[in-house]
Amino acid sequence: MVAMIVRRLFQLLFLLFGISFLVFSSMYLAPGDPASMIGGPTATESDLNAIRDNLGLNDSFLTQYGHYLASVVQGDLGFSYQTRQPVSEAIAVRFPNTLKLAIASMVIAIIIGIFAGLISALKHNSWLDVSSTTFALAGISIPNFWLGALLILVFSVNLQWLPVAGLSDPWFTVEGLKQMVLPAITLGTGSAAMIARMVRSSMLEVVRADYVRTARAKGVKERNVIWIHTLKNAMIPVITVIGLNFGALLGGTIITEKVFAINGVGRLMIDAIAARDFPMVQGSVLLVATLFVLVNLVVDIVYTYVDPRIKFQ
Amino acid sequence: MKKNWLLLFTIITALLLSACGGASSKSSSDASEGKTKIPDTFTYASLTDAVGLSPIMTNDSASANVTEHVYETLFKRNVDNEIEPLLAESYENPDENTWIIKLKKGIKFHDGTDFNADAVKYTFDKLRDPKTAAPRASLMAPVDTITVVDDYTVEIKTKYPYGPFLAALSHSNAAIVSPTADQKQDLNKEPVGTGPFKFVSWTPGDQVVLEANPDYRDGAPALKKVVFKVVPEVSTAISMLQAGEVQFIDKVPAEQLSRVQGLKNVNFEKIEGTPEYFLTVNHSKPEFQDPEFKQAIASAIDRDAFVKKLNGLGIRSDSIIGPKVFGYKESADKAGTPYDVDKAKELVKKNGYDKKTLKLLTANRGNYVLMAEVVQAQLAEAGFKVEIETMEWAAFLETARAGKYDLTFLSWSNVTGDGSELLYPNFHSDNVGSSNMTQLSNPELDKLIDQSRTTTDQKAREEYLNQANELMLKENTAVIMYHDVVTAALDNKYTGLELYPNGKWDLSKVTGK
Repeated sequence: MVAMIVRRLFQLLFLLFGISFLVFSSMYLAPGDPASMIGGPTATESDLNAIRDNLGLNDSFLTQYGHYLASVVQGDLGFSYQTRQPVSEAIAVRFPNTLKLAIASMVIAIIIGIFAGLISALKHNSWLDVSSTTFALAGISIPNFWLGALLILVFSVNLQWLPVAGLSDPWFTVEGLKQMVLPAITLGTGSAAMIARMVRSSMLEVVRADYVRTARAKGVKERNVIWIHTLKNAMIPVITVIGLNFGALLGGTIITEKVFAINGVGRLMIDAIAARDFPMVQGSVLLVATLFVLVNLVVDIVYTYVDPRIKFQ
Repeated sequence: MKKNWLLLFTIITALLLSACGGASSKSSSDASEGKTKIPDTFTYASLTDAVGLSPIMTNDSASANVTEHVYETLFKRNVDNEIEPLLAESYENPDENTWIIKLKKGIKFHDGTDFNADAVKYTFDKLRDPKTAAPRASLMAPVDTITVVDDYTVEIKTKYPYGPFLAALSHSNAAIVSPTADQKQDLNKEPVGTGPFKFVSWTPGDQVVLEANPDYRDGAPALKKVVFKVVPEVSTAISMLQAGEVQFIDKVPAEQLSRVQGLKNVNFEKIEGTPEYFLTVNHSKPEFQDPEFKQAIASAIDRDAFVKKLNGLGIRSDSIIGPKVFGYKESADKAGTPYDVDKAKELVKKNGYDKKTLKLLTANRGNYVLMAEVVQAQLAEAGFKVEIETMEWAAFLETARAGKYDLTFLSWSNVTGDGSELLYPNFHSDNVGSSNMTQLSNPELDKLIDQSRTTTDQKAREEYLNQANELMLKENTAVIMYHDVVTAALDNKYTGLELYPNGKWDLSKVTGK
């Protein structure tokens, strides 16, 4: 197991190197000039040249990438072209918001998703199953910007129960929890729907397995059949879906962050791309890629606990 | 068994609902208490975050909204667009190249140091130093030397007579910074100026907090604490205004106008503004230098119909120098080529303009896409073949700068409110390849623009600008789609907001009602 973890982390280094090269070259080749984004339309050619010199943008691609790589290896993600703030500092401000939102959404998604999926599978073809699959279909189909705006109108503007936007208060305060409710529901609904569908199909498969029939024949209580024999074995694909969803949520969720004015990694990244703020784009993409790999590593480790037959070489 | 499941489901649902309900009822009481208890905290919803908080190092409106409350300029434009002294006391021109500026005495920066002639020299020298790489270094381009005459007098010599110099000095990027603070800290993160508000904190991406400057020379502002909160989605900002979480928004888009005007707790204000939007041909392409081609384009575009689509947020005038900009004359309002689709059709047919497909380049923000769609349809009616090419802002700027288009829409916010500062960057051949994205190079026009810039006689300047304007209208250099209307929506518990034609605003006189 330890060897596997070390190997995966080692692979991560190569992956990050590849990603950094891809991102750097695509930003370099993309149309748009960081200097003119700083100078704005009013800047004259001499203003722009001074800015380019200052940022080292007049150097060749390889020199620029070489400089970047040299500082990243030393743990320095560089400075934002736009704000001249260290990239790591900018990410450190945003990431906690993304993390708490991702966790809150995942909690909602897992509770609702597993519950709805279970009911659906156990009451196969009943009205409960139909309503649960309808919910799942709606959850996947409804776009976040629409659901977010709708929730704001109903719960914040009309009922005035919850704040419209923001996520700046600490999560353990009442205000912080209230701020989290609407964005977490907005984000969690889609994941809940995916989890519900996965739980349902996986359960339906396992419920028909021979060992479940044997367990029932042996007179094991129905509750134990469901929770111990069936659900646990049906969890493998569900954990994969949860892992992928959580990884995606950690990468920032641009639309939900925008609708709820949340200062997260997704918005940081999209603003940086729009402003051609190369170091900021690089830094946030590297963070997202690392998190995604780590989450998947954790998922793999969890597999071995859920199903002891799975062993890593 | 069945019953157990149903029971569990009901209990969990009830728990979830009660959790939501419990939290929410408290929230509403908190909110209502907040409103009555602390009217001192005043929140403005900004669509974008500030880039930095130093006037020297920034050139965007979100940053300027903050810096204009922390720093001050030597001169400023008032709500009637006239230039008046702010940190300056008075000025004189012993000759056309010399500006002797007397400064107000007894003003202190927020760090306690004195505002004086040294601070002015320090700020302007830093702004124009190429090592600084200031985005608006060009404001100081005509400056030759800056000399401290005494503690409260500065002498600035320009390389040539520079007419719009006071307009340049009233630009927010020419605000005076505290030299002591600038040497000690990064003003981009911790600004120190002489303005009515002092800096408290900045959480990048989230909010900037300012507090009233108790030692301000005109008395401390009534708002004790001002928050510039980043709310990137305009409909969320309006919801926050409606729910009382935000007290002020600006730049209300036309499609949200009826919603904002319908809010009972909000006063909506609009005034004629200096920003403008125009259609131009790519003047570097020989085929578009044909006067009849430009005439056909101008005749085909029904600007009245377009302005109607803006729900009152656009002003219809042919004049390239807008009604709120120095150099405007009313006679230019209708001096452009009038809408005449039959004339356009005739010219298209006669010259075979329908044989080539034109590329209409447009940015994918604001009203640009709407303009493109309307103009495409109108040009098609006259017989032109037009394809729209939409790009995001950064790519658009680069493409337009490089002149890789046939037709495009450009805009200019006219922050200085001076006609020379509109015509020189956009239409003078000096700036082709950078700010002159029209790619125009017209010696006759260049000369008039130069004359308007190189005399300090304001009457003569007005005349040169008018001549330049008339020449451009005669030659259909650009087709003005609309001049902007500047908007603000303020919570009706407050009053005293000063809104300027260039879209800027001042919170220092805002009070509770």
